[in-house]
Amino acid sequence: MSRWLAEVLAVAGKDLRTEFRTRVALNALALFALTTLAAVSYTIGPYRLSAEDRPFLLSVLLWIVIFFAALAGLDRSFVKEEESHTAGLLRLAAAPTVVWAGKLVYNLVLILVLMAILAPLFCVLMGFEIVMPWRFVAVLAAGGFGLAVTTTIVAAIIAQAMTRGALFSVLSLPLLLPLLIFLIQGTTAVSTGDLATWSASLRAVLSMAGVMTVVSALLFPVVWRD
Amino acid sequence: MSDLAGIMAVTLIIWIGLFTYVYRLDRKVSRLED
Amino acid sequence: MTRIGTALKWLLLVWMAVVIWAAFMWVPSASGFKGESSRIVFFHVPTAWVATLAFLVSCVASVMYLKRRSPQDDNRAAVSAGLGLVFAVLATVTGAIFAKIMWGAYWNWDPRQTSITILLLIYAAYFALRGAVPDPEKRATLAAVYSILAFVTVPFLMFVVPRIYWSLHPDVITNPDPDNRLDSAHLRVLLASLAGFTGLYVWLYTLGSRIEAIRHRRRQEVL
Repeated sequence: MSRWLAEVLAVAGKDLRTEFRTRVALNALALFALTTLAAVSYTIGPYRLSAEDRPFLLSVLLWIVIFFAALAGLDRSFVKEEESHTAGLLRLAAAPTVVWAGKLVYNLVLILVLMAILAPLFCVLMGFEIVMPWRFVAVLAAGGFGLAVTTTIVAAIIAQAMTRGALFSVLSLPLLLPLLIFLIQGTTAVSTGDLATWSASLRAVLSMAGVMTVVSALLFPVVWRD
Repeated sequence: MSDLAGIMAVTLIIWIGLFTYVYRLDRKVSRLED
Repeated sequence: MTRIGTALKWLLLVWMAVVIWAAFMWVPSASGFKGESSRIVFFHVPTAWVATLAFLVSCVASVMYLKRRSPQDDNRAAVSAGLGLVFAVLATVTGAIFAKIMWGAYWNWDPRQTSITILLLIYAAYFALRGAVPDPEKRATLAAVYSILAFVTVPFLMFVVPRIYWSLHPDVITNPDPDNRLDSAHLRVLLASLAGFTGLYVWLYTLGSRIEAIRHRRRQEVL
């Protein structure tokens, strides 16, 4: 078990180190997120929305930015292996589940870093009032995990296809929309202080993410096998 | 009421047309299979 | 064409013709529905049902493909998905017409409209994926995987979203579940329509599978 974990962390670690050096995905994530945030902040700002609309609308905006940043930045986790011709080596060096878990950890770290920077910035710039901060973090973490799991398996699928840029987004979106709905709900709840809705939404997100995890772990070897 | 009858007539025509098309296709496929 | 097959198909013709007539002429307009809009339900609900059924069949075929790697399974998955897409579009359109008559807007993102939209997106994504993979075996494998992934998200849509959703939009006009308001005459026509549409789907599905089988055989002969 610890051997497996060590291998997973090795895969993730290698990806993260490369990423840190080249910063391709991070740039895509950051560029998209910050540009959109700036645009939203500039046009809408903290004053334009009425008090009763704020929790819901700001929640929507936050998640739209996160989602689209993820779609922009996380599509290449497998494609880059094909392009640099390291895919074959990876297939030999590690078991499929190790590769999957490693890439998942990599995507997860990227998303969490994005959120760690984006969420506070968003709240400050947009005047987003969070009544239940720790529960907000819980929603973000759960959402991040759901995002990471889904984008990992979809990235694996498109690496085998003739990717025309948009294919990753087209495939991810239907899978992520239900997640998005619940995340928006949960975030609205932490802004209004609605514990019951928060709890229901979080449970929904976690169960979706959980199911996605199990199913992708089972299906990944099929996709990866060449 | 005659509006409703009109819509019904159109729907029936569409259905009969669709059925005829699919039925003919079915016959053709059957011939190809033999 | 077998004799039973032929008989069943003619039965379907008459059956659906009677359903159409009954939906417009025999059943009175339902109370609680604006104008004659209740009649659309007889076409809207079955198409939505078939769209979901087709998706289910497609997923089962996908699982079969991953198990036994038979090209016929992949064909079946694709055929059913194609039919599902058509019926999903029909369901969306009839639903929008209904929404316009009842609530004045073609689209208000109530849970059902949301669910059918996501189903449409899934189908569209499925065919986009198929279009992007030239190798037949890879295409079948990847499409099967995606189909299964999409399928696991659907139960959440169908059951969980509607329950939680309303707390978010208390101001949206309350949306009476049309099925609850129907009396026995309506129910009978609805069920008959459901049966008819399902029969139509089964026919189209088997026909499509046979066509694909012939195409596949032709391709093998060429090679």
